[in-house]
Amino acid sequence: MIKIEDLQSSVHDALKYLKGRKGVVDAEVFASWNDLTTIRLNYTSDIPCNGIQEPKSLQSYGLGVLVTFKRGNRTEVGFGSVTNDLTRDGVSESLAKAKRNRLHDPDFKTLPDPLKAPTLQNYHDHNVMKISDGDTVDLGWRVLEGSLDTFNAGGYKKSIIIGGDVTILKERMAVKSTRGIDDFDETTSLAANITAMIENRNVKGTGRSLSTHLNTFQPEEAGREAAGSAIRTIGGECLKSGKYPVVFGKQPVADIASNLLIPSLKLTSVNASNTSFLRKLGQNISSRNLNIYDDGSLEGEVGSKKITCEGIPTGRTDLIANGILVGFLANSYFAKKFKNNIYHPIPRSGFRSSSLGRDYKIRAGISPTNVIIEGNNETTKEDLIHQIQDGVYIGRIWYTYPINGLAVGDFTSTIIADSFLIKDGKLCAPLKPNTIRINTNINNVLQNIIGITREKRSTSVWGSGAVIIAPEIAVNEVQLDTIASPIR
Amino acid sequence: MKPDIKSIDKQKKIASETLLRRYESLKDCTYLDLRLGIGEFKSASSENGTPKEVMDDYEASFGIRAIAGEMPSWGFYGQSIGKKNLTNENVATLLASGIDIAYRRARANAKKKLELKKIFDSLTGVRLAKINVCQDIISADFEIDPRSISLQKVLKTSNDASRQMKNLDPSVQFTATVIKTGITRELFCSSEGAMIDQSLPLTMGIITLSAQKGSACPEICYDYVGDLRGWEVIEGKNCYNVSFHNFAIERTKDTIELAGAEFLKTTIDKVVVVTDPHFNTLLAHEIVGHPTEADRVLKMETAYAGRSWLFQSQEKNQIDNRIASPLVNAFSDPTIMGFGHYKYDAEGTPARPITVIKNGILKSFLNGRETAAILEQEPNGSMRAITPSMVPLVRMTNTFFGPGRKNPESIIKEVDDGYYIVRHKTPSISESRENFRISAQKVYKIENGKLVKLYRGGGIMANSKDFLMSVDAVGNDFKMFPIPDCGKGQPMQVMKVGNGGPTLRSRARLTGY
Repeated sequence: MIKIEDLQSSVHDALKYLKGRKGVVDAEVFASWNDLTTIRLNYTSDIPCNGIQEPKSLQSYGLGVLVTFKRGNRTEVGFGSVTNDLTRDGVSESLAKAKRNRLHDPDFKTLPDPLKAPTLQNYHDHNVMKISDGDTVDLGWRVLEGSLDTFNAGGYKKSIIIGGDVTILKERMAVKSTRGIDDFDETTSLAANITAMIENRNVKGTGRSLSTHLNTFQPEEAGREAAGSAIRTIGGECLKSGKYPVVFGKQPVADIASNLLIPSLKLTSVNASNTSFLRKLGQNISSRNLNIYDDGSLEGEVGSKKITCEGIPTGRTDLIANGILVGFLANSYFAKKFKNNIYHPIPRSGFRSSSLGRDYKIRAGISPTNVIIEGNNETTKEDLIHQIQDGVYIGRIWYTYPINGLAVGDFTSTIIADSFLIKDGKLCAPLKPNTIRINTNINNVLQNIIGITREKRSTSVWGSGAVIIAPEIAVNEVQLDTIASPIR
Repeated sequence: MKPDIKSIDKQKKIASETLLRRYESLKDCTYLDLRLGIGEFKSASSENGTPKEVMDDYEASFGIRAIAGEMPSWGFYGQSIGKKNLTNENVATLLASGIDIAYRRARANAKKKLELKKIFDSLTGVRLAKINVCQDIISADFEIDPRSISLQKVLKTSNDASRQMKNLDPSVQFTATVIKTGITRELFCSSEGAMIDQSLPLTMGIITLSAQKGSACPEICYDYVGDLRGWEVIEGKNCYNVSFHNFAIERTKDTIELAGAEFLKTTIDKVVVVTDPHFNTLLAHEIVGHPTEADRVLKMETAYAGRSWLFQSQEKNQIDNRIASPLVNAFSDPTIMGFGHYKYDAEGTPARPITVIKNGILKSFLNGRETAAILEQEPNGSMRAITPSMVPLVRMTNTFFGPGRKNPESIIKEVDDGYYIVRHKTPSISESRENFRISAQKVYKIENGKLVKLYRGGGIMANSKDFLMSVDAVGNDFKMFPIPDCGKGQPMQVMKVGNGGPTLRSRARLTGY
């Protein structure tokens, strides 16, 4: 484990070294240490299994330098990084790589400039930083015990599957530049994302717990929630193909946001002309009830960071306000490229995100922190279901993809768990999992929103770094198509 | 001096000795393996004819798997390594420390597993099926050594393509190209005595572009060439037999044409569809490759990539059952060239061709040593990880529909009323792979055996078994294509695999805008 003080002194020393090198105009040094521990769960009552498949971790540390050089009257920019070396030799090797990799990019203006001071301070959990291997393994077993207790209490002992993982991410970083950036950050997060099934009843439930601190992390609750949800959906009914009013639960809202909305709301997508919101800034793109913003400065939220990987304090970036498209997520490079007289994006989303955490090996791209979805007129889940009268409550969806690209906005997904039919304004029979495919378009969904709940939950989606603080959203006119159930 | 794949020469003995020494000293440790690898690559990216980024670098890492404890259990540790670590003394210390962490985790896991056995009665100790323990050296095979190509040449090739794509027509809004070429070398050694030193080249070129006509939606194209070969891939020795530059220009012309085409409409009923080899590449990937991976079969991926409609239990599954028309054959073969090529998998198991579907009958699953032991099968060498620091998983390799006998032109000619589905775009598959919706780059209406109209934004949707059972023609035009971004695992591992097939004719619903 590398201490934050070591990262701070390494960026300080590195910048001092780089400032004196011939041809260097500006330089930014980023150093990080990351540890990602995953306890992968696999309990199958009818197949020999390990319960915890394997406790595993990935660890890395190093530094990366982004340097601008003067060649003639042109500015060139180059990036280089080294692994497991914070010494002068490491900095020298990074600089050599940056020189080798430099080129003139007319869209690159300058390295990021400092903004006002960050608001989050000392918000990580020291106990997570020093958790032992044994205690980490126990977190996984607590999930399994929570699930199995619930199944056993309901009388279900066979055909049980419990899967998912407990993941612990520890990140430390420091950044310093010749433009005046000088800061550091430490974050911890814990996540349990659990799926439980009674396979011979063809039911599946999901449960989750997300936290920044060990004392508020409840892996056994995630296990219980998943098992409880599976039990509640026994006896599912099928549905005919057609257009239905639906309530998207928190996980589907998070899934659609992670795979459709957020990618379409990045300046990288604008740059590539690959968003259905192209040239729509300032225009109405959804129901007037809808607001979406990103905010990395919320205390206690799993996606929160003190600063970006470019050293900019996190804060609120409004994306959709009262149904109007008002902004995009930006890093420094694209904020400067797209800045004009009427649009001045603040680069609060410049992160070096990889599966390892804050990665010194790559330049800052654009990543969300906490994405908050809310309504101007929020209601309760019961009211939302009452409003729908006859339709479908969709609790979990799967493989949500922009099937014809983000620009067109078509998306498809299958309903796999936690879902119910709505009749006479109430949840009634469960919906049989894996029998319905959603075929619709994000623009239709945004325009046909008829209600948003007050209650929200932090939710993450497999393979996506975003944390969506998701409500439940009722939408009219969603195309649902019948598909084959699994052949058994 | 910059570390390169030759740096591994010095580490072979150290790695093996460290592993065996630690293995002998660790109580209740029944198995250890170690993978140590380094890759050296050059890459360049460009947008609209402007250089964006170049990189000439190396990446190295190691990973340790341990099985230990009274009730044998897994533990894993992985870490990136740098130049400083690649001295003999440092690497030995680092590897020994990694082994100790993996072992500690395995022991902690085993202890808890034993305690909870009375509650979770299907818990069992890890068993690995037996394999031939091998020592071997596999050199990288290429015509043009990626290391001999200058960074300037990589950048120029990328930039020229991106510029000429952009200049082709005013409707082209955005073009981007990325080229990467290099070699990876990976050591595998185990407490059973394996020592495999395997090198593979990798070269690929990716294009992204957008074209817009009038106020219509932009048409986006994302496509690639690539193989586990040298720079010759960029010069034309690839699945398309065209240079990267010409590939980029052809795709741009298609995208310009598509930007002015009408959107396909969804149908309620099934129609006759002829799917081309490129489209069937993704189809084979999604409805043959994934559902036959043994970890999915054994429900280990239930929370992530899903289960398989081919297997409920040892007693109730589709092995030796008909799941497709007698015309359909499918194979998985890492011994042939393609993105899924290797001689040994990440557990040191020798690669071999596997018949997955024979004349419509399901014959086997792709497995690793642990899943083979549970399923009581022979290990068939299908375990891979994207880097040594990641845990190996069961992955499809080069997995494809086998060729038939029919001329593809006659397959279209025989259709009075149908659609020709050309080149895959994006998949969405249901949880056990029993249903799919896959979009296509192009869809043509077929009338009286002729292609009469081009559509955009289309694709097909079907239940997997219905589609496979309805195949009534298989072409003799087999081709393999690269798939560079197959996601699986937690944390996600984005793997390169090879897929392919010939032209097929079947029935499916059309999906459109």
